[in-house]
Amino acid sequence: MNFKDKWRFVQQNLKKNRVRIFMTVLATAMGTTFLIVLASVGFGLHDTLLKDIMEQDNLNEISIYGYENDKGEYQYITNQHIEHFESLNNVKTVRRMNYLGQAPNYHVDNFEVTAETQSVYFPAEQQAGMTLTEGNFPTQANQVVVGYHFTEGLIPQDMDYDDLYTDDEVRKEETLFSENIIGKTLTFDIEKFDENDDVETTTFEVEVVGIVEEPVQRGWDDSNVYINDMLLNEISAFTETHAGNRYPDDDIEGTPTEKSYDNVYLHTHTLEQVQDLTTQLTDEGYYTYSVATEMKQLNMLFTIAKAGLIFIGTIAILIASIGIYNTMTMAVTERAPDIGIMKAIGANPRTIKQIFLLESSYIGLLGALIGTAVAYLISFAVNLGLPLILEAVFEDQLPEGFQFSSIPLRLLFIAVAICLIVTIISGSRPAKKATQIDVLQAMKREI
Amino acid sequence: MITVEHLSHHFVMGKKGEKTKLPVLHDLSFSVNKGEIVSIIGRSGSGKSTLLNLISGFIHPTSGEITINGTDVTRFSETEFADFRLNQIGFIFQNFQLIPSMTAYQNIELPLILKGVTENERKKITEQTLERVGLSHYPNHYPGELSGGQQQRVSIARALVLNPPIILADEPTGSLDSETEASLLEFIQQLNQDLNITFLIITHDQEVARIGSRTLEIQDGHLIKGGNSR
Repeated sequence: MNFKDKWRFVQQNLKKNRVRIFMTVLATAMGTTFLIVLASVGFGLHDTLLKDIMEQDNLNEISIYGYENDKGEYQYITNQHIEHFESLNNVKTVRRMNYLGQAPNYHVDNFEVTAETQSVYFPAEQQAGMTLTEGNFPTQANQVVVGYHFTEGLIPQDMDYDDLYTDDEVRKEETLFSENIIGKTLTFDIEKFDENDDVETTTFEVEVVGIVEEPVQRGWDDSNVYINDMLLNEISAFTETHAGNRYPDDDIEGTPTEKSYDNVYLHTHTLEQVQDLTTQLTDEGYYTYSVATEMKQLNMLFTIAKAGLIFIGTIAILIASIGIYNTMTMAVTERAPDIGIMKAIGANPRTIKQIFLLESSYIGLLGALIGTAVAYLISFAVNLGLPLILEAVFEDQLPEGFQFSSIPLRLLFIAVAICLIVTIISGSRPAKKATQIDVLQAMKREI
Repeated sequence: MITVEHLSHHFVMGKKGEKTKLPVLHDLSFSVNKGEIVSIIGRSGSGKSTLLNLISGFIHPTSGEITINGTDVTRFSETEFADFRLNQIGFIFQNFQLIPSMTAYQNIELPLILKGVTENERKKITEQTLERVGLSHYPNHYPGELSGGQQQRVSIARALVLNPPIILADEPTGSLDSETEASLLEFIQQLNQDLNITFLIITHDQEVARIGSRTLEIQDGHLIKGGNSR
């Protein structure tokens, strides 16, 4: 008996009890919808977080924030370590930086701004992907580049904060620095305090030679001033402190005694190399952090969460399967005379079993497909409606690109597969019962 | 064709722990040759239907052997017997045993479907068989829409459709009036002559038994007439 003929039998059988079949399909569809929608929350949140992480441009980066020596003592990263890092396989470049120990007030023309200042190694920054919107990288001690948002922070000197904005809280046109910053000279004062808290000040002059590209991450401001190591050394020579601190190093706990770096970042050629290199460095005693490692942990966490949600959703399908079991058992009981006749004229028990399994599979598949379609609609509605509800009820806004529910193709396959397996299992016992029907009993023959 | 040797059967009755054996057939031996019409006659409860059920494989005998075309069918598994029935035996039942949700055409086509005959071939054979039993005008009628005689003809058509060498008939005229009964018996004789089909007919009616070339009589599970005819 071929599939087409078995399918014809199933269709004939389904027509006999349309309402019962409809209710069973409905229960299966509801179970599938519940499973998909529930799991889609896990998938949605995971996707949103991953998307957020992937938008960062530091996926190939390993942050190294210290070293633990054989005695278990914490050490800063020094040039010796940098040389070691640069000798390692798969290391593309080693970025290192120090924060200037004070945030100076920068002056240009009649404008001023207080900005963080970082001393960086520009060749490594270039290799790691730092690009400029305008200008060039510094080649001399008195040359700097500024962050993309540096000029936005500049305000006219001696102006009250309240006078900067209109009633609509928009910066007044006349308070903005409208000239090109490239080629301009920035002046800033560096302070040095002695043991008696007497302050000595000296003024430095630097030329802005470039503006750094806007940060990739949404909402990140870059108002920094990037100087090179030569200038930092000049400032440190004046302050006689590490990284240009205002106060003597003896007064600041934990200040390194030799040339060291506040932040060091290793860049690999590929994302795949990050994990191996992180493991190697951790084994060597370095304190490390990488987005790739965080992603791995995040993926692990969400995989467990998604598996849990799918498991809970499966319970709904299991409940629906009771309906399928019931429907199929009733179908077998009702059709016992027909089954008896078929067996009497030579139907193979295996064929009878296959017909009933096909019927329960069809109910499962139909339920899964309807459930999937409904789940897609619900998912769409949730993603559309949730931000509106949150805004209306909590007066809060979800981050841009936030996706509460996501139904990837693999979730679809998992749900349909679970639904099919459960329905086949629940239909298998009635199907087996059909094969065990006694011909004589079914035909009510005299013995 | 069909050989029955020392066939005995009893049913087990009662609850667990209080079971009793109810003997139905006692050491039956007989044979049926190819192309014969053999009637098995006996009163109600004599064991004639049990004998037919044993030959059909619907129940397994307590002891003895049933050989059909040289094969000992008592050793068959359920699946093997199902295949054997499909290919070797046609059935005519007293109450027709047609599937009510299927039309006359579909009921006749059923054995062909079970055998895996192609759709085109099925159509040809089914239409020919409908023609043979004189129901070519009723292919789309459901059993409930046909008379008793017509239903029995559908039942015969279903038994014939795979050209089986043997047809087992259990009280084939039991639900028919005398006029239809005569017509049906004539038709069975015609089929026997035209197609050389072996008929084994169970009946309590002497008139029906007369169409047989031989009659076996069973009384209280014993074969009292026509046994060991080889």
